[in-house]
Amino acid sequence: MKKNQYIGRQSMISRILNPKFIMVYATIALFLIIYLFGALAYGNKGFTTLRTFTNLFVDNAYYGISAVGMTMVLITGGIDLSVGAVASLTGMFIAYGTSVLGLHPLICIVFSMIVGVGLGLLMGWVIHYLNVPPFITTLTGMFLARGVCSLISRESIEIKHAMIDALSGWRVNFMHLKDGQWVKVKPTAFINFNVLLFIAVLLVGMYLLQRTRFGRNIYAIGGNEQSAKLMGLPVGKTKVLVYGFNGMCSVLAGIAYALYVKSGWNLSLQGAELDVITCAVIGGTLLTGGVGYMIGTLFGVLLKSIIPALITFNGNLLSWWGKIATGLLLLLFILIQKIVVSSSGANKMKSKAKVTKE
Amino acid sequence: MPENNLLEMKQIEILFPGVKALDKVDFSLRAGEIHSLLGENGAGKSTLIKCLTGVHRMDTGTITLQGKEIHPQSPQHAMELGISTVYQEVNLCPNLTVAENIFVGRQPMRHGQIDWRTITKRAKELMARFHLNIDVSRPLSFYSTAIQQMVAIARAVDIKAKILILDEPTSSLDDNEVQLLFGVMRELKAEGMGIIFITHFLDQVFAISDRLTILRNGHLVGSFDISEISKVELVTQMIGKDMNTIFNLRRADVAPDAPFMLTASHIGAPGQVNDISITLKKGELIGFAGLLGSGRTETAELLFGATRMTSGQMELDGKQTDIKKPYDALMRGMAFCPEDRKRDGIIGDLSIRENISLAVQARRGFLHPLSLKEQNRLADKYIEALGIATPDAEKKIGELSGGNQQKVILARWMATDPKVLILDEPTRGIDIGAKAEIQRLMLEMCGNGVSVIFISSELDEIIRCSNRIIVMRDREKVAELDGETCTQEKILSIIAEGAATAGGEAQ
Repeated sequence: MKKNQYIGRQSMISRILNPKFIMVYATIALFLIIYLFGALAYGNKGFTTLRTFTNLFVDNAYYGISAVGMTMVLITGGIDLSVGAVASLTGMFIAYGTSVLGLHPLICIVFSMIVGVGLGLLMGWVIHYLNVPPFITTLTGMFLARGVCSLISRESIEIKHAMIDALSGWRVNFMHLKDGQWVKVKPTAFINFNVLLFIAVLLVGMYLLQRTRFGRNIYAIGGNEQSAKLMGLPVGKTKVLVYGFNGMCSVLAGIAYALYVKSGWNLSLQGAELDVITCAVIGGTLLTGGVGYMIGTLFGVLLKSIIPALITFNGNLLSWWGKIATGLLLLLFILIQKIVVSSSGANKMKSKAKVTKE
Repeated sequence: MPENNLLEMKQIEILFPGVKALDKVDFSLRAGEIHSLLGENGAGKSTLIKCLTGVHRMDTGTITLQGKEIHPQSPQHAMELGISTVYQEVNLCPNLTVAENIFVGRQPMRHGQIDWRTITKRAKELMARFHLNIDVSRPLSFYSTAIQQMVAIARAVDIKAKILILDEPTSSLDDNEVQLLFGVMRELKAEGMGIIFITHFLDQVFAISDRLTILRNGHLVGSFDISEISKVELVTQMIGKDMNTIFNLRRADVAPDAPFMLTASHIGAPGQVNDISITLKKGELIGFAGLLGSGRTETAELLFGATRMTSGQMELDGKQTDIKKPYDALMRGMAFCPEDRKRDGIIGDLSIRENISLAVQARRGFLHPLSLKEQNRLADKYIEALGIATPDAEKKIGELSGGNQQKVILARWMATDPKVLILDEPTRGIDIGAKAEIQRLMLEMCGNGVSVIFISSELDEIIRCSNRIIVMRDREKVAELDGETCTQEKILSIIAEGAATAGGEAQ
């Protein structure tokens, strides 16, 4: 009985040091190391300014938005290759709708939502109820969406609309106090609508994953789908909704991208799905499912975007080095994951039941 | 039948394509009762349970729970009706914490959000009730199978189940853990829960149950109070034959002048086993006895080349041989049927035919593929010879019962026409009838001139079959006994001599 007393307490420290967060810590640590490296190497060129940091968000918000949905899909043990094409399609809808058909952008956005979420739900349904592998199903979705893009137009269409201009131009500048006056920091650093959208989607994703049954069912399905079924969890419904949610994220990412480049092009965001998956994986999400955190994905996005930033600051390196560095990063993280997973398996062998007999 | 039955299943019939899986079976369960469900593999135990949990739909019959007729549609539906099942393989999510595994899908909510604090608190209380002092915020995969099993039961119990079905929960537990589980079962029983207990361990049946029901080939044999029936009767009823006729086996006849098939002198490998010498005659069966970890399996792996030997010499069929890897052993006429059937033996998604053909194919090399016709001939031959219960050779091996899987593995190696066959725990986890069958097959092979090495934790089967018995202890060969004159006590005392200091591992 005596022993039972200590289980009542669980210190904050042991909660933070929980081994299940190891991957997230690795991502954060690596981001800090690379940031520190950048600060040492290119500090004099302005790498440490706030602007460099906020630009990581501004320039990659659309990846981040999509990565939130992708993280959920990956946690279920699935994959979604259609996100880039769906985002591109959203851009086409907005560009064609506003510039050619003269529609209000909100109508285009609502339409995109219906199409994107609908496609997601449909793919989820096919994956679960027809038992088609996610890879194939979403590959089909990708070709479908990309095909429709080209059907709409094979030329880039500029987006010209007052609301789009206002949204993409809107920004909150960072200010600081200088000689008793609030002035903009120099060089100017700001966040825009896309960054806010990213943060909002990220928070929603976090809330869904950690605070709702829907989110916990996602983890359970990724852990062992058969068990989840036998535990009486709504496996089919959850999976369909996850792909639907990811469809929504793709559309939001498409909106953010449209605001970022202010045009729609049928070949935009080609291969973006792989970048998005990369963000999630280097953020600690297991491709085999069951493990992943939004905070990890956030740092995954930052980690992936800091590399091109470094290359820009260097100025001499070809941008292809970015791809190579990203590849190495991905490899590194997959290796870390392997090690973490196999060592937690070894733990199991060691842990013999601590049984108190009365 | 008494009136206070919690559950009543009447005239249950289930038809599978071509087979009547259950034929007018009655089953009843009282509140506050532990009721064992017994039968051989394929007798219909799982089918009956799956019918109760809504996995299979019954063709005729009625199920009544507390006087009301029910029609379980799915495991989820059964759970809502108050029927919870804990399976042999733990069906929980390894990535979630212990606490979450108990509550996932029915988490307590607060302000529309999951109330993690209450979950942790209640999980702790539940585990404490099971006398388990563990950190419930650790992932399930961190803990041993026994604890995982307890967590599964905790979840089932907390759902406010009226009926708890335990489907072979003890097969991976050690003695202490079994006692712990029994304690919990008794507490639940005292609270008025009805428990259906399925196991192959007859001792456990007698230790814990109040009543038992026996099935055979989809038919009901009968239900008995535990005091009404003896173990011998029980076994007789289960297999439908007298136990003695079943085990009426004769040791292999080995001619005194039979040639030596395998001679190993002073073989060993660092960290594995030391200085083992073995001789094996043509058509002889020798048994390896000893505790788990005593070096039985290690010796077998050394002989087969799965571990590289660093000292000693081996002669096979009178010729000096140097076996470096299993392939060498296979090419020289040896076969090895490893211990863990699920992990090292079967390939679950392949058909029986493919599983049988594997070793023959490996021996021929991939440039000389077996034609489908040859494969079919092999499969059909062994399905018939070994009495593998299956509609056809194309069934996935993973869908067979344990005993039948073991027969397929045996067939795989028999098909290679081995001179020396090593069987590591071929009878573990299968029922008595199938055990007897496997033993009969081994001895039959000896009769055909195959030399067999038989490893088993069950001394009675070792003694029953072996010409000679090699006793292992602490990774060394400590005795070689004659099978005819050997007794269990003798082997036990040899093992115990050293085990007294080693602490003695539970079998």
